[in-house]
Amino acid sequence: MSVSTAVVLAAGEGTRLRPLTRNRPKPMLPAANRPILEHVFDALVDAGMDELVCVVGYKHDRVQDHFGPSYRDVPVEYVRQHKQLGSGHALLQARTAVDGPPVVVNGDRLIEASMVEAVTEAFERHGPAATLAVLEHPDAGQYGAVVLQNDELTEIVEKPTSGEYRLINAGIYAFDETIFDEIADTPRSSGELALTDTIARLAEREQVRGTRCEGMWVDATYPWDLLTVARAVLARGRVGVSQRDDGVWVHDDARVHDAAILRPPVVVGADSELGPGAVVGPDTALGYNVTIGANVTVERTVLGADARVDAGSILVDTVTGQDVDVGAGSVVPGGRADVRVGTEVFEDQRLGAVLADRVTAGGDVSFDPGTLVGPSAHLHTGAHAGGQIPDGAEVTR
Amino acid sequence: MCGIIGCAGRDSETLDILVHGLSKLEYRGYDSAGVALAGDGLDVCKTAGEIDDLRAVLAERSPAGSVGVGHTRWSTHGPPTDENAHPHLDCNRDVAVVHNGIIENYQQLRDDLSTAGHEFRSDTDTEVVPHLIEDALADGADPEDAVRAAIGRLEGSYAVSVVLSGVDRIFAARNDSPLVLGIDEDSEARSASEQASGDEPRAAYYLASDVPAFRDHTDRVVYLADGEFVVAGADGYRVTTLDGGPVEKTEDTVDWDPEETGKSGYDHYMLKEIHEQPRALRQCFRGRVDELAGQVDLADLSDLSPRGIHLVACGTSYHAAVYAARLFQQAGIPAQAFLASEYATSTPPIGDALVVGVTQSGETADTLSALREARRRGARTLAVTNTVGSTVARECDHAMYIRAGPEIGVAATKTFSSQIAALNLLALAITSVGDAREVISGLRDLPGAVQEILDTSTAREIAETYRDAESYFFIGRGLHYPVALEGALKLKEITYKHAEGFAAGELKHGPLALVTGETPVFAVVTGDDEQATKTVGNVKEVEARDAPVVAVTDGASDVERYADHVLEVPDTHRRVAAVVANVQLQLVAYHTADMLGRSIDKPRNLAKSVTVE
Repeated sequence: MSVSTAVVLAAGEGTRLRPLTRNRPKPMLPAANRPILEHVFDALVDAGMDELVCVVGYKHDRVQDHFGPSYRDVPVEYVRQHKQLGSGHALLQARTAVDGPPVVVNGDRLIEASMVEAVTEAFERHGPAATLAVLEHPDAGQYGAVVLQNDELTEIVEKPTSGEYRLINAGIYAFDETIFDEIADTPRSSGELALTDTIARLAEREQVRGTRCEGMWVDATYPWDLLTVARAVLARGRVGVSQRDDGVWVHDDARVHDAAILRPPVVVGADSELGPGAVVGPDTALGYNVTIGANVTVERTVLGADARVDAGSILVDTVTGQDVDVGAGSVVPGGRADVRVGTEVFEDQRLGAVLADRVTAGGDVSFDPGTLVGPSAHLHTGAHAGGQIPDGAEVTR
Repeated sequence: MCGIIGCAGRDSETLDILVHGLSKLEYRGYDSAGVALAGDGLDVCKTAGEIDDLRAVLAERSPAGSVGVGHTRWSTHGPPTDENAHPHLDCNRDVAVVHNGIIENYQQLRDDLSTAGHEFRSDTDTEVVPHLIEDALADGADPEDAVRAAIGRLEGSYAVSVVLSGVDRIFAARNDSPLVLGIDEDSEARSASEQASGDEPRAAYYLASDVPAFRDHTDRVVYLADGEFVVAGADGYRVTTLDGGPVEKTEDTVDWDPEETGKSGYDHYMLKEIHEQPRALRQCFRGRVDELAGQVDLADLSDLSPRGIHLVACGTSYHAAVYAARLFQQAGIPAQAFLASEYATSTPPIGDALVVGVTQSGETADTLSALREARRRGARTLAVTNTVGSTVARECDHAMYIRAGPEIGVAATKTFSSQIAALNLLALAITSVGDAREVISGLRDLPGAVQEILDTSTAREIAETYRDAESYFFIGRGLHYPVALEGALKLKEITYKHAEGFAAGELKHGPLALVTGETPVFAVVTGDDEQATKTVGNVKEVEARDAPVVAVTDGASDVERYADHVLEVPDTHRRVAAVVANVQLQLVAYHTADMLGRSIDKPRNLAKSVTVE
């Protein structure tokens, strides 16, 4: 049974990544200069999938607008999950779009083609009802932990509290077509259908195989994780932009002033412009249509599309959404801070600031480390920002 | 206005290829459709209705043949009926012809043919062509010469394609109507079954009004010019003049992706295309602007230095032209926008003005006609179009592409925004007055500003509120005047409701008599300058007549005080504000039409590019 259709689950918001997910789902957040989902699609296409079915829900138009009807000549079909009722429910929405056994992957984590290939090969050779990719991970307790016995999955548990687990479920599966009936038969837990619940049921019947994999597997749980994700992508050069120098990727349609300095690893997206004296990098990704003025310094930072950083500003350890406008002489000094997300406090995280979509900062605005600014907030000239700033807020000096 | 397709060299796949091609051409007309396949005999199937109706008829019988032609029609001569659907046949049912265009001397030809005993079955101008071919065949001409002879007698505009019973070739010619030849000489593209059967790999050829019709089969094309004649069969193709003189043609490669014409999960192409605007705008600017240096680079267009500008266009493109005329005027160049159909027949003195034709398809007959008239009078011409290789691009002295990508929805959306973006670049390139940095910075904000509208628009609620109104008015001043015109046109086109756009100051000179408590008025007001203040005054006039007011505004003026609803646009450069305000109005029209259950992508009586005058 050969597997050539992939179902990508991309309907969830990723609430812990707020405020960056205000206008787009987590799979569309940047992994360096490209959306996470684009890396997932790359892995699937490289692994030989010739049909992609993408389950979309929260802010679905962002996914559809970005990829359109095909990606790298592989047709993409979109299926809507109108209410986000769990990963099993999401997969169920793809039932009519799938013909034959599908590969199923999460759209919000970076994976590699080799993992997809390992799963499809094991599935095609051994063919139990389900095969999933398994990875060793130091923080198994953070994810779905699994136990294997001779490649057979015997236990799957979400975020176990005990530290005895070493293997995690990588979120890459191959199923035979009966998976849809299995999901439909799985009892809902608090109204939701989790795919892992169905897998646990199949495991009880000894019908799940685990395949050990290696390679890049990166998940972003909180906004600052996007800096780690960017570093992982840049380290592997998965930027989809032509290389100018070792570790320096500049799109052919970007304009970099002769007197600007690019410090590797760094990627500059299409239509972006860098002025004289700008120093950009290391570990920095500029999306498309980004304007960096004269003498701006940008380090360990991810700037979303359409961002504008005016002359003399400094951005360190910063993540921005789209269309952010930072006025001249503004400073995000970066460094470590205790970051509050909702009611939780995360101690000693390295984060300069998170600026969500369309944040505007007048000139000479300074940011405490760990500042989270909500979409469309406006920071007036000379303002000092810190902590959490809500959507649309006006911050004056 | 119609779409034609022809195919040679695909044997048993001919029918599928024709029907698939027609479905891709449906934007050019969809009130009747048909196919004719020639092999040993001639098999014809045609019907009134859309391509799906034709598919239903074909499901009961499967015409076969080694070559074939197909047609999707938008009526000009005679109502949409089975009889008037193409292909048209001669008396013996041996010759089948599909045609796009208008044959101006058809009445004379028809009278002569009727007198000679030919029987006509339809009301169309096209039907004279098969009968002329029949006569030439009866005089002993071979098929190719017979077709040449018949076409030689036609006056007017045409792209015709002909197949004959027992002839495994297809013949075609064009004059003033689009026709493209697609070439598939790569044996790999042949179906696996044919390769397995060990047949010699042969070539396949396609003829169509537009590339999407065969883009799934090949990316190699030859754009045919007026007065050229093509013969294609499985063994090759030949392009000559109508008299048989040799013509050297070069092949082009089209680079866009055929899948780009899918709906990407949206219910309608129109909504998909509205959402594509940020990307389309970026493509328009790509490589052309240098923000930090304040420069626009349009290669040779920067040297045009015109003393005056006439813009000619139709429909939505005309609204972009009205906008552009104001830009050029602001830069001190006398500029005027004209409706192309008027310009062609009542041409004003041109002097040494540059004549700029704005047309999405590049095939709009009225615009081509206006440009030809201008050229006849010695004027320099520039085409602003979305379609590389289109007639307008080939005929004008210069061409500028708006790079919006294929637009399938009949109601133009992304191409309007991209036309305005391109015309802004043109204005900056040829006027070079002062520091352009502020404008360029504003233009670079445009994709993000449009994305903001897409993320935050409340147009759906506005549409819900006013979906049952009988009549809608749109007002704006300066650069917002064309936005008012375009807002009204969009609503008219896809909701079938009465809508009018007015210059805000003109309302009180007549149209105000139509304003009541039942007529929503959409007012486009941004900034807080004199123009805005005066428009707010006009808003008060309609508010005093109890009309519900929807203000499309950045909130800088106090228009919200007089408005019942607000559609917000970001605070941006004035030139950019017009585009984003228009996106709000596109969404209002779309959602209203959607709630009313209209045929959004194919509104009644309309066709995407109108290639008849």
